[in-house]
Amino acid sequence: MSCMGLIYSYSERENLRELTDIRSLAALPIGGKYRIIDFVLSNFVNSEIYEVSVIARTNYHSLIEHLASGAEWDMSRKRGGLRVLTPFANKEAMESPHVYRGTIDAIANHLQSIRQSMSEYVILTGSRILYSMDYGDLIRQHRETGADITVAYTDNLNGTNRVPQGSPIVQLDESKRIGRVRIVEEEQANVRGNWGIGACAIRRTLLESLVADAMSHQRYDLYTDILQRLSPTLKMYGYKYSGHLLEISTIAGYMEANKAMLDPEFSEKIFQKTVYTKVKDSVPARYGPDCYVENSIISDGCQIMGTVINSVVSRGVQVDRGAVVKDSIVMQDTEIMDLATVEHAILDKDVIVRDGREVIGHPAYPIVLPKMSIV
Amino acid sequence: MSFIKKKAMVAMLLAGGQGSRLGVLTKDVAKPAVPFGGKYRIIDFPLSNCINSDIDTIGVLTQYQPMELNAYIGNGQPWDLDRMYGGARILPPYVRGKEGEWYKGTANAIYQNIPFIEQYSPNYVIVLSGDHIYKMNYRWMLDHHQQKEADCTIAVIEVPLQEASRFGVMNTDANLRITEFEEKPPKPKSNLASMGVYIFNWPTLKEYLIRDEADEYSSKDFGKDVIPAMLADHKRMYAYKYLGYWKDVGTIESLWESNMDLLKENISLELYDPRWKIYARNANLPPQYIGREATLKNVHVSEGCFIEGTVENSIIFPKVTIHRGAVVRNSVVMSSTTVEEGAEVHYSIVAEGVNIGRNACVGGPSEPVDHPRISVVADHIRIGNEARIEAGTVVDRDR
Repeated sequence: MSCMGLIYSYSERENLRELTDIRSLAALPIGGKYRIIDFVLSNFVNSEIYEVSVIARTNYHSLIEHLASGAEWDMSRKRGGLRVLTPFANKEAMESPHVYRGTIDAIANHLQSIRQSMSEYVILTGSRILYSMDYGDLIRQHRETGADITVAYTDNLNGTNRVPQGSPIVQLDESKRIGRVRIVEEEQANVRGNWGIGACAIRRTLLESLVADAMSHQRYDLYTDILQRLSPTLKMYGYKYSGHLLEISTIAGYMEANKAMLDPEFSEKIFQKTVYTKVKDSVPARYGPDCYVENSIISDGCQIMGTVINSVVSRGVQVDRGAVVKDSIVMQDTEIMDLATVEHAILDKDVIVRDGREVIGHPAYPIVLPKMSIV
Repeated sequence: MSFIKKKAMVAMLLAGGQGSRLGVLTKDVAKPAVPFGGKYRIIDFPLSNCINSDIDTIGVLTQYQPMELNAYIGNGQPWDLDRMYGGARILPPYVRGKEGEWYKGTANAIYQNIPFIEQYSPNYVIVLSGDHIYKMNYRWMLDHHQQKEADCTIAVIEVPLQEASRFGVMNTDANLRITEFEEKPPKPKSNLASMGVYIFNWPTLKEYLIRDEADEYSSKDFGKDVIPAMLADHKRMYAYKYLGYWKDVGTIESLWESNMDLLKENISLELYDPRWKIYARNANLPPQYIGREATLKNVHVSEGCFIEGTVENSIIFPKVTIHRGAVVRNSVVMSSTTVEEGAEVHYSIVAEGVNIGRNACVGGPSEPVDHPRISVVADHIRIGNEARIEAGTVVDRDR
C-alpha cells in the first residue's frame, strides 16, 4: 500500500498547563514508559506504513530527542522512514506571532517535503486523541468509495469522558457520505452525533492542491476551511471506528487516560497490538522488603521501597521508605524521598520531593510539579 | 580490503557451549541464550562488557542450537553493535572445499576464523566465553597486558581452595607471571581460577593456533593445549586479578543462586548502574501492572507482568502473570509463564511459557536456605490443577 502518515505533534486546542510548556504534546509521557507519539506512530508501524512525517511546531526538543532516527519504530529507512518537519524560520516567519497560522498553514509550510513523497495517499492524524486503527482498512474503504476525503469518526465515547472542543461532528447519509460538518465549540460530556477522532485519509496530490488553494484565500484551518467549507462540493465519507479511545487535551483528560490503563481489561485492548517506544535498557523494577503496591503501573528501573496506590509510575522512579504515592502520575527519574506524601499530583521528570514533604492536590484539580522542581 | 578498518582489539566470544549440566533449560538453546536476571540472557553480559569497554568488533562463535541465539543477536543493535566497520558477527562453522567441519574445540573454533580476525589486522584478540555472569572492564585488563608486555594475559579470580579443582588453576610468581597452569587439578596448588577470559597478542596466538591445529594429538582446547604449549615455550604469560562478582552459571543450583544474588544489597554485581548498563534485546511490552491484592517483598519484576498474588525474594521475567492467591517465593520465573489462583512455587526455576494450574504446588516451602533443593519446570509445560511437584524435581515432557 502506497501511503504516508502526517502527524500533528501539537494541538491548537489543548490546555495541559505546565506539561506542554516545555514539550510538544506528542512528547508528553503517558502510561509509564510511553510518550503520546508512541501510540500514534505504532498505528503506522502496525499498519505497515513506514513513511511518516511529524509536524513540529514549538518546543520540539524532547520530541526530536525521543524520535531520533526512528529506529525504535522500525522507521529508520532509506525508502520513506521517519521525518520530523520543523518550522521553516525565514525572516517573515520570525516576525509573525504564530509559527503556523493554522493546520493548513502547517502543511503548506512543509509542502515541499510532502511533494517529494512517492506515496499515493496521506493519512493525517492529530496527537490529542489516541486510538488503535488499522489504516489499511481505512485506505481500503477510501478507495472503494472513491472518496476525496475519508474521515474517521465514532458515535460513542469509547472509554473517554468527553468529546473534546474543536472536534468535527459529521452528518452521514446511509452510504456514510458526509453531508454537513459542525465543529464542537465547547467540550461536551455526551455524544450528540458522529464525531471525528482526528484521523483522515486523502490522496496526496489532492491534499497538496487543496492546501495551496486554501492558502491563496488566506484560509488556514483544516476543519473549518476544508472539511466544513468543502463538504457540499467534495466527496467525503465517514469511516467508523469502534475501538477504544484516550483523549488528552486537558489535565483532567490526561489523568483519566493514565488511570484508564490501570483497568486490566481496558489496558489489554490498548496493548493488543504492540506499542513501540524508545528503549532505555533499564533494569527490572525492584520492590523492597517493606513496600506496598496496589492497583498501579510500575515501569522498569523503578525502586519501590514505600507505598504506591492507584498511580502510574514511569521508568527510573524512586519511592523511598515510608513515602506514599496515591492517585498520581510520576514521570521518569523522579524521586520521592523517605516519608514524603504525594496525592492527586502529576510529577514531571526529574522532580525531587524531599523527606517528609507533602504534595497534595485535589481530585478535581491535581497539582502539577514542573520538570526538575524540588519540593 | 579497503572497506575494513584496522581494530586494535577484536573479541572472539565462544558461544557454542551446550551447557549440558543445565539440563532441560538448554535442551533447545545454547547456554549463552539461557535467560538470567529478569530481562537478560547470559550472553548480554560479555556483549555489554565489550561495548562498555569500547570493543566494537566481536565474532560470536556458535555451534550448538544456534537458531535462538542467532535471532537474539541479530544485527547487534541492542548492544550498539550494528556498526559500519566491525560490530557483532555470528560465526558458525562452515564448509571449506569439499569438507564441512564442526568446531572441534575452543582453539579450533578460533583457528577456523583466522580469516575473520585477519580482516581487522588487530594487535590483540580477547577470547571470551558466553557462560559467566560478571561485569568487567576489558580495557583495564588490556592496560595490565600492555604494562607487563605480556604475550598472553589470563583473567583470574580467587576461589575457595576446595573449589579450585573445578577450574583451570594458575600458579604465579609475585609479579603475577604465570609459572604453571593446571586444568581442573585434583589437588590445586593455588586458588587463582581462570575466568575463561584471555587477551593474546594476535601474531603470537595465530602462530600457536596454526601449530596446535597441526598437532594431531591435541584436543584443540585453550586450557588443555594452547596455554600449556605457550607456557612450555616460556612465553610471557600473566594473570590479571579480577575482584568483582563472577559466577559460572553452569548448573541449576548456581543459576538459581546467581539470580538470588541480585536480590541482595551491596553485591558488586549491581545491575542498576547507568555507567555500565547491561543491554538486552527488548520485547516492547507495556509496563507491569500490580493489582489490588498483590504483595511484593524483595523482588525484581519485569515489563508486561501482571501481579495479583504474593511474590517474595524472586526474580520475575517479562509477561508473567501471577494470579490472586498464588504464592511465589525464592524462585526464578521466566517469560510468559502463568501461575494460576492458589498455586504455590517455592525454590524453583520455572522456564518460559509454563502454566502452573490452580492450587498446584511446585517445590518445597521449607527447604534449607543454604542449600535448598531446586525444582525445575521445563518450558511450555502445563502443571495440572492441584498437582504436587516435590522439592528438587525436574519436570519435563516425555520425549
